[in-house]
Amino acid sequence: MFACIYSRAVPKSQQKVRNHDAEAPSPLVDLAFTFSPLVEQTSPDTVVLDVSGQDLLFGPVAEDGSSAEVECGRNIATDIIRQSKTLGLTVNVAIAANVDVAIHAARSIKGVTIIPPGDELLKTRDFSIKHIDYSLVAIDENRAAEIQETFALWGIRTFGDLARLPLAGVAERLGQDGVRLQKLAQAKSDRHLHLVRPPIGFAQSLELEHAISEVEPLAFILSRLLNQLCANLNEYALATNELKLTLKLHDKTEHERAINLPVPMRNPKTLLRLLLFDIEREPPQAPIIAVAITAEPIKPRSSQTGLFIPLAPEPERLEITLARMAKLVGVQNVGSPELLDTHRPDSFRMQRFTVPSSPKQPHCNPQSTIRNPQCVMGFRIFRPPWRAEVWTREGKPTRIDAPSGDTRLRVRGQIVCASGPWRGSGDWWRRDVWARAEWDVAVVDPKSEEGEVLCRIYRDVTTEEWFVAGVYD
Amino acid sequence: MSALTKKEVELALADRFGAIFERHERRPLEVFPTGVREIDELLFGLPRGAITELHGPASSGRTSIMLSALANATAHEEICAIVDCDDTFDLASAAHAGIDFRRILWVRCGHSLERAFKAVDLILHAGGFGFIALNLCNVPAQVVHRVISSWWFRFRRAIEDTPTALVVLTPVAAVRSCAALILELKNEGSVWPSTLSLVSENSNGRFTSPDTTARYLSLVPLTADAKEHPAQPHTHFLQAMKIVVNRQRPVELRPGKVKFNPQLPVR
Repeated sequence: MFACIYSRAVPKSQQKVRNHDAEAPSPLVDLAFTFSPLVEQTSPDTVVLDVSGQDLLFGPVAEDGSSAEVECGRNIATDIIRQSKTLGLTVNVAIAANVDVAIHAARSIKGVTIIPPGDELLKTRDFSIKHIDYSLVAIDENRAAEIQETFALWGIRTFGDLARLPLAGVAERLGQDGVRLQKLAQAKSDRHLHLVRPPIGFAQSLELEHAISEVEPLAFILSRLLNQLCANLNEYALATNELKLTLKLHDKTEHERAINLPVPMRNPKTLLRLLLFDIEREPPQAPIIAVAITAEPIKPRSSQTGLFIPLAPEPERLEITLARMAKLVGVQNVGSPELLDTHRPDSFRMQRFTVPSSPKQPHCNPQSTIRNPQCVMGFRIFRPPWRAEVWTREGKPTRIDAPSGDTRLRVRGQIVCASGPWRGSGDWWRRDVWARAEWDVAVVDPKSEEGEVLCRIYRDVTTEEWFVAGVYD
Repeated sequence: MSALTKKEVELALADRFGAIFERHERRPLEVFPTGVREIDELLFGLPRGAITELHGPASSGRTSIMLSALANATAHEEICAIVDCDDTFDLASAAHAGIDFRRILWVRCGHSLERAFKAVDLILHAGGFGFIALNLCNVPAQVVHRVISSWWFRFRRAIEDTPTALVVLTPVAAVRSCAALILELKNEGSVWPSTLSLVSENSNGRFTSPDTTARYLSLVPLTADAKEHPAQPHTHFLQAMKIVVNRQRPVELRPGKVKFNPQLPVR
């Protein structure tokens, strides 16, 4: 059964505008949504809603069959009229099994009209043909005026007159438009509702009766909110790449966290774990009294897998692993390194690690354009460099003793070979100017069984101190 | 009641359980090349789904092999991870080796062995990585000896039947039976024929000469003698390698000697 609500108060100028996808819902649509989620806004003054299956809410107690359905429809119509009065609307309501019949009945008959199934033609046959809605059968205004003129010439004044005409004759003279109009007049049209979508909002919030100060109860609340959020995203075939969590705290402050995801996701379990890792890393400073989560909706990722695509971690699992790792060693210690364009030694920055999506292109990375067919010698750099005591003869290092932070590790012994100095300096315009004279040295410790250790040592020219930069390995 | 031999029990149950008692030979592990020609000719590469241990003293070439393997893996678009216990990964030499940093996850563990092991465990269980390097080069040998074996067993269990290769760099042998392949490296010394001339050239103060901005420490094949190239200022960095293969985790091996000669980066 369908209920049509027609507002008699909407100005005529607005009535001509069909508005299926109105961005701002009218009070009429809001009224309809309080009775059913399946609502069509036929025009600014007309909405239709599907009221099937509401017997338990509005149906009579001890009746069944079609009479019970009619009684249920009557109760709904009465309730709609009552609620419309509280909203200040003057409306007609018609209940019918056919959508178009309900629309025409609501527009033509004041108050409440209940049309039992099978009585549609009986009720509509006396409706004026001038009130037939051509837009319901997709006929534009010019064609509608032409057909209306033809009907006037034929002496067709009511729905009943049109319904009685022979189908072949109507089709021959008016084409498919005429056939559809006649079906409309005969109450035989069959169509689905053009549903109004409720406004999309990917935000969930919850105010708590009692403040919580532990992660475990918070996890249950976040899980509930994320489940709903992801269900909404799923419904619209969307995903999110940014989650914003706002926690209202007991001391009237707000704790805001934002999680940026490298790939769109909508798995509530993954998002929950990421949020929890983030909260555990930076917990709020007071008990929580309200929780709100907002998701930025975007299109989900689409990937084509193949046999020859190289192995790569699954993005969701990788994100969780990175979050765990960030909790373990700190955010600044996990990522993908990038060399900075400077001569300052050991200048780099950490970037967020993401799996490169595009296939590798030759020479796309300037940092790896130097290709050596021969294996290059590795270097292990000491961060921070080890302070060293160096004995020199004629400016050339001859002996070194450099303890590390750990007493079991040190570079000590005779320098049997040295190459240098290799001088470098830079950033003289900055406060942290650097200038160093580097040496590559081979150190032999007579007390150790190890052979030569090839080190890079340097003398800081600004402080005249010696350091071990690292070891060739 | 006479005691039944194992063979008799197996024969009695063979009808019901088929060939499950038969000894199955494990097929050789899949390998991926390290990029070091001398090693690849001998070993075909490092085994996937297993642990490889590279151990040796400082300047024995462990990091060189790791960088080469990383460069090779990233060139084949694999995702790699470096778990750096003591934060000693040098980006300049890594870039010179040809490593694509976009495919490298670098975890700096702040001198904590426990964090390093936990990080490796997380990465192994995340799956999808082609090559994982655990760098314990700067951890004292006494500490490495004290690492409990259950960590290595856990890693071996997590990595088997995956296409991931885990390479552990240590100062002394630590992984023992959990490693499918152990490469023991040793530095046998270096010969720098032209060092003195370089030093005297530099000590004259001619630092602005473009020639002196580069280090002439490139290596030549070990078989070559320094006397054969008197004009070239180069260093011989002699490295020997001993290979131990775990018989329970077979790795194909060709007979022969390893000649390994990494080249120092030119800056």
